[in-house]
Amino acid sequence: MHAQFGQVLLVDAGGFFPELPNQHDVAWFMMDAMKLLGTDAVGVGERDLKYGLAWLKSQQKRTGLMIVSANLLDKKSGKPVFEPYTIKKVGNVKVGIFGLISDKVDLGPARDSLVAQDPLVAAKKAVADLRKSGATVIVLLSQLGKVESEDLVTVVTGVDAVITGRNIPLIQKGRLIKNTVVAYGGEQGQYVGRTMFTIDAKGKPLSGENDMFILSPEVGEKPEVLALVKSFEDAFNEKMRKSQMEQDAQKQIKSEESPERFLGAELCVRCHAEEGEQWKTTSHSVAWQTLVNAKKDATQECIGCHSVGYQQPGGFMSQTATPHLSNVQCENCHGIGTQHEAFATTPHRITEQVCITCHKGDNDPEWNWEKKLPRIAHSNFSGETIKNMKNKMGGETGMIKSGGSR
Amino acid sequence: MRPLASRILAAAVLAVVSWLMLAAATTPRILQPDKLIILSTTDAKGKTSPCG
Repeated sequence: MHAQFGQVLLVDAGGFFPELPNQHDVAWFMMDAMKLLGTDAVGVGERDLKYGLAWLKSQQKRTGLMIVSANLLDKKSGKPVFEPYTIKKVGNVKVGIFGLISDKVDLGPARDSLVAQDPLVAAKKAVADLRKSGATVIVLLSQLGKVESEDLVTVVTGVDAVITGRNIPLIQKGRLIKNTVVAYGGEQGQYVGRTMFTIDAKGKPLSGENDMFILSPEVGEKPEVLALVKSFEDAFNEKMRKSQMEQDAQKQIKSEESPERFLGAELCVRCHAEEGEQWKTTSHSVAWQTLVNAKKDATQECIGCHSVGYQQPGGFMSQTATPHLSNVQCENCHGIGTQHEAFATTPHRITEQVCITCHKGDNDPEWNWEKKLPRIAHSNFSGETIKNMKNKMGGETGMIKSGGSR
Repeated sequence: MRPLASRILAAAVLAVVSWLMLAAATTPRILQPDKLIILSTTDAKGKTSPCG
């Protein structure tokens, strides 16, 4: 992009900290990575305050990242706790960048000492200050959500682009609202937005447009960033694995107390042999190994979609404690095995909704139900299997009773 | 031997030329001066790479 155009800025609208608690390692790493990527300015959202303001500021100081928020104020002094805005000179253009956080969100452990000012008031002041300081293009890094961001730019004039964040749906092509280019979504590093302005000789925008681009493997990696990510992930995975092993024993006790538990495919295939054979031909049957290969087998946010019943009573705990529940197995799609008897009266139909609990946009952006279904679907062999068993046994089908035999 | 003034002038010219060459080398070339590109991400949520 730099080679093609020359005048390029990189920004992040905020919300870069992880969703899970106590993942400070990931949080500081994200900030390191943004700095290494040369991010010019970063917004701040609710998620980024979850470990406390003091911690975020200490990481900002360490990394030197430019965090902007025009309406996150110290309650006592009324002053912004981060720079309200920054001005970047890019070639011939002076770009003013400011950030906004929603005034309806939890401000984390430091909530008692912070206040989020009315975004409209803060935006009007930031735009005026930036224009006064000579900015010819103004960009808002918004953590207001879709509707509030759109509403704001219909009222506040002078914002040339808004990068919207906080539960934003992906929209491939940005919209023009009055004179503001609005960029939508692209969570979890899957996409990058490109807002392109045509500017006049004085650096003022004449027109602008936005597109989202998926960061598929073809895009390529910056070697030093790739090396940093790999080294971090390996170390983090190992740390999580050790922590998990310590928790396993305690979880095991709770699991044994649970009347409902996941049984594993090994038990299902005693009756559903043909379905089992078909399943072995699918990538579901080796899903755990893909995590091991990627060294993500101790990463909580990944495990759920590569095992059976993770974080549910009687479900997967770790490869050491519950090896029979690794991989995506029968119960991921068909339901918990100890409730098998109810399947006959309330059939569990496999719909797209079942699949998108894992194959959702942020995990698998290119997934397509109609194309992928034939790869995993099996005919209702079980009817035949059970009928044959009935004939052999001359009566009952030998259905698995609650509690199973494992 | 050249007079002192012309030696100073020559040194000054050399310094200016060197500075211009250095500036040209370090300043990124603006290939499309009528375009400004803003690359953006949002809500990375701590995701460093796909699960597998």
